[in-house]
Amino acid sequence: MAPTPGEKLTNFFKRRDVIIASALGVAITALTVIIGGWWYTKWMPTALSTDMKSIERLMVIFTWISAPVCGTVVAITLYTFFNRHKGDTPPEDGPAIRTRGPIVILWSVVSSMLCLVAVVYGLIELNSAEGKAQADAPHAMIVEVTGNQWVWNFHYPAQDVTTDKLMLPINQPVEFRIISADVNHSFWPVQLGVKADANRYQVTLADTTPNKLGTIDVKCAELCGLYHAYMETTGAVTTRADFNNWVTAQGGHTA
Amino acid sequence: MSADTKFHMHHDSPEQVGRRERLGVRLLIVADGAFVFGMIFSYFYLRNLNANNGWIPKGGHHLAASTGWVIVLPLIVAAIVHKLGSRQMASFKNISIITLIALIVGLYLQWKQLAHMPFQVDGDSGKVFGFEGSYSSSWVLIAGANMFHYILATFISLGLVIRARRAEVDPILEKWRLRTAGSWFTWIAISGIACAITTSII
Amino acid sequence: MTTLDHHATTRPIPNPKKSLITKLNMGTGMVVGIIFALATYYLINPHVDQSVAQEYNRQLLATMFMWSLGFMIGIGAFIGPFRWLIGKDLTDEENLYLAGDGQGIKRYFKYCTDHKVVGIQYLVGVMTMLGVGGTLAMMIRTNLIMPGSKFVSPIIYNSLVGLHGITMIIAMIIVATGPFGNYIMPIMIGAADMAFPRLNALSWWVLFTAIPVLCSAWFLGGIPTGWTAYAPLSVQAGPGMNAFIATIIIFAISTAVAGANITATVVAMRAKGMSWNRVPIFVVGATVSVALAIPAFPTFMVSMIMTGLDRTFATTFFDANFGGSGWLYAHLFWIMGHPEVYVILIPGVAALMEIAPVFVRKPLFSYNAAIMGFAGIAGLSVLVWAHHMYMSGWMPMLNGPFMVTTEMISVPTGLIFLVLLGTLWRGRPWMKLPMLGVYAFLWNMLVGGITGLYLSDVPADNYLHGSMYVTAHFHYTLMGAALTGALAGLAFWFPKMTGRMLNERAGYISFWFVQIGFQILFLGMFIAGAEGQPRRVSDYAKTFATSNMVSTIGAYMIGIGMIVLLWAVVHSWRFGKIAPMNPWGSKTLEWTVPYPVPLVNFDTPPVVTSDFYGYGKAEK
Ligand SMILES: [Cu+2]
Ligand SMILES: [Cu+2]
Repeated sequence: MAPTPGEKLTNFFKRRDVIIASALGVAITALTVIIGGWWYTKWMPTALSTDMKSIERLMVIFTWISAPVCGTVVAITLYTFFNRHKGDTPPEDGPAIRTRGPIVILWSVVSSMLCLVAVVYGLIELNSAEGKAQADAPHAMIVEVTGNQWVWNFHYPAQDVTTDKLMLPINQPVEFRIISADVNHSFWPVQLGVKADANRYQVTLADTTPNKLGTIDVKCAELCGLYHAYMETTGAVTTRADFNNWVTAQGGHTA
Repeated sequence: MSADTKFHMHHDSPEQVGRRERLGVRLLIVADGAFVFGMIFSYFYLRNLNANNGWIPKGGHHLAASTGWVIVLPLIVAAIVHKLGSRQMASFKNISIITLIALIVGLYLQWKQLAHMPFQVDGDSGKVFGFEGSYSSSWVLIAGANMFHYILATFISLGLVIRARRAEVDPILEKWRLRTAGSWFTWIAISGIACAITTSII
Repeated sequence: MTTLDHHATTRPIPNPKKSLITKLNMGTGMVVGIIFALATYYLINPHVDQSVAQEYNRQLLATMFMWSLGFMIGIGAFIGPFRWLIGKDLTDEENLYLAGDGQGIKRYFKYCTDHKVVGIQYLVGVMTMLGVGGTLAMMIRTNLIMPGSKFVSPIIYNSLVGLHGITMIIAMIIVATGPFGNYIMPIMIGAADMAFPRLNALSWWVLFTAIPVLCSAWFLGGIPTGWTAYAPLSVQAGPGMNAFIATIIIFAISTAVAGANITATVVAMRAKGMSWNRVPIFVVGATVSVALAIPAFPTFMVSMIMTGLDRTFATTFFDANFGGSGWLYAHLFWIMGHPEVYVILIPGVAALMEIAPVFVRKPLFSYNAAIMGFAGIAGLSVLVWAHHMYMSGWMPMLNGPFMVTTEMISVPTGLIFLVLLGTLWRGRPWMKLPMLGVYAFLWNMLVGGITGLYLSDVPADNYLHGSMYVTAHFHYTLMGAALTGALAGLAFWFPKMTGRMLNERAGYISFWFVQIGFQILFLGMFIAGAEGQPRRVSDYAKTFATSNMVSTIGAYMIGIGMIVLLWAVVHSWRFGKIAPMNPWGSKTLEWTVPYPVPLVNFDTPPVVTSDFYGYGKAEK
């Protein structure tokens, strides 16, 4: 008598290789989830803006989405690796499994679902960032960023200050207007989670709201010639009062 | 090598060889098509971007739309004549010359246009010359590609003219080769039309 | 051509021993090439002012192209077309001579049309390029061992990065389709040769002329732009950039020709009975790869011609003062550049899919899923290019759509995993060297794929773009996955290509050194990227000292492993154990021919009656 589909499934999960591989898979998935929870935040610098915070969160969530994939792949490879055939002659033939329709379908569906989750999550984040930028735009402080080979210059039109240090008051939305005086550069204030290329004659916009006091490292993320590595400067997120003092000291005027 | 293995070098019929060669040429046409696509894409990209109003800067020149079409005409003639001519091997001998003449005329016209384009401006040092803007740059690239097409086509056409006068070719294979050459002629006519349409939109 | 006109044989046969083709070889090619180059250089010289960049660029580019042209004339590449032109097609005897019949070792230095000779030429060429690129990588990592750029100046560092990048990219594009696509693939499908043997020789020798051109960059001030050669930096760059431009244009010609040739061979020359569902998966992969390259590479060529024109005749394609745009360059570059990643990856994967069934003694799991995986990847790969431009500002509103297409690639990539895992599952793999490659691939591609997921996401890319994280990611896919696949292919097909077994002991040592070193190197680099270190920097802040030190240690381990591998290949080639006809018990056709493989491969053309994965006993 042929086994029913239900019996087939129970028999499947009674097989030794299935039990071991599943256990391995679950363990590795769990391990990935746990490590993924702290791995990136451990290395990434302190977030000084919500943008940077959401990037950190995104790295964690994407690791979690990939954890089951990681678990499946590693479990099967590990299991078969330890089950390997030793010797100088080829092993006996294994079962002649050409394909398993349901498995292929299941695999495609599950990987599509995981992909969909990643896509939707990414789109939501992207949308909310754009929405926030639009809402902030009217009262944003404008900073004109110019990339020259190989220095960054910042011009604050409202304050009439030009400087090579990126100073930002806390909780004040900023809009960076980025342009290059020569070749392509990429403006990267690391702790703010912002990056935008500097192109010649084309202004690129980027925005953020710093929400934590601290130092900013500004770097160039696009190879721009000889001293690309040294095209960096520093800056800080300061209190409003400190920022105003700094502006005055630079000879600018506070609104 | 024994006579036996030599035999296997012959196992493909002229029919098979002919088909295979046509397939190869068509694949190369795909590559050339990507090249032409790249040029046309660039033309419209730069035109729409018009960075610093430099597509045609103030006081800059541009060519009449007809300049492009003048170049295409010989291509179309060549492609059609070749297609009609290659139906009959006997008459192809004479008709092939028309294709060749059309191509040489087109090649000459394209050369003339390139030699007399009005865009070159003197640079700062007086020694360097440059192009006015991105329109003229895109134009010269497209004209250059047409030139390249013409040169290749002229080579092929010349070969066909000479070969048609020699009796030592396999007639079946040669017939296939005429079709294969026809693929190239047709393609460059199509690409020429696409380029002419492009350069008509200034 | 393998196939000769029937009528041609009736013509009186000139004695091939006296004709021109017997006199030409690599040496005459070099001589004519150098004469052409020198003549060009010195004939132009009085008319140029070398202090004017554009004039000097013109002189150099002309010299480089004339070298290439001269070499091709000197080696006899144009004899065939010329004879066609004048209506005196090459005779049987001449074609036989061109195929290298009875010329022994000499044929490797001639314009030889035998696909097996071309395969070996590609193999040696690829190994040389990998060696050069690897040495450059060691120099890069040495300079980065500690902060302060202690060893080289920024200008040399940038040259190292650019040369390493482009050398490796070129080597990786041909690493599997060059040697195995030429040597093995035609035998695998039961063909006597490639569809266009003369074009086959052309694709190799044209590529060969690019090697000295690329090397000359080092003496002309280097390639300071990285392999991406972004404009306008590349327009501004010094004379070494001309070498880059010439190399890419020559290379694009070579790949177009090779791509058309391989595709036509697979389409038109399969053995009787080899229907499309019986084609070995490596052949499918190699074909998808080269077929994808055919439309992809010409856009790179367009961008390089534009760069060249900007540099020589002051056109303004990339000069924003006069209507140009660096974005245009980035578009053209990445429309080629992303498909190119899969042009590199797919043949490596396909080689592993060919290997796995043999060593697991099970059929390839779901051949159709493999095909769908390749097709899906190839199809999507042309729609994702702008994910390299999220931060460029060209059109931020399209970032979302490009993110979607990019992440969709994970689905066909998942199928690739399924095929390999399904083949492994319930099998007892015979852990020979090629099989180890399958395991290394699965792990490396897993890491490369998952890290690619973060990079495809626009918000995350705000942090990761242009950082060391990207560098680590693509090394996982290109080196960890694709190169591993190609090296596994080398271990697998070495017996057929050289008649000898690859030294196993050395192979294992090399494998573990390379793979462990690789994990260490790029673990360190992932961390450096997460910490915020930009890529392509000659120097870095103290914060990144530890992760960079770790990376360099890993790099040295790879270096040791690769030297061992090189020794193993060279030594085994000469002194290795003589290989039996079919050492792995594989079912594909290339194992049914003896070594040395006869000129026309098969005494009687094979007839295929089933696919090649009939391993395994029927299930109970
Ligand atoms: Cu930079
Ligand atoms: Cu990409």
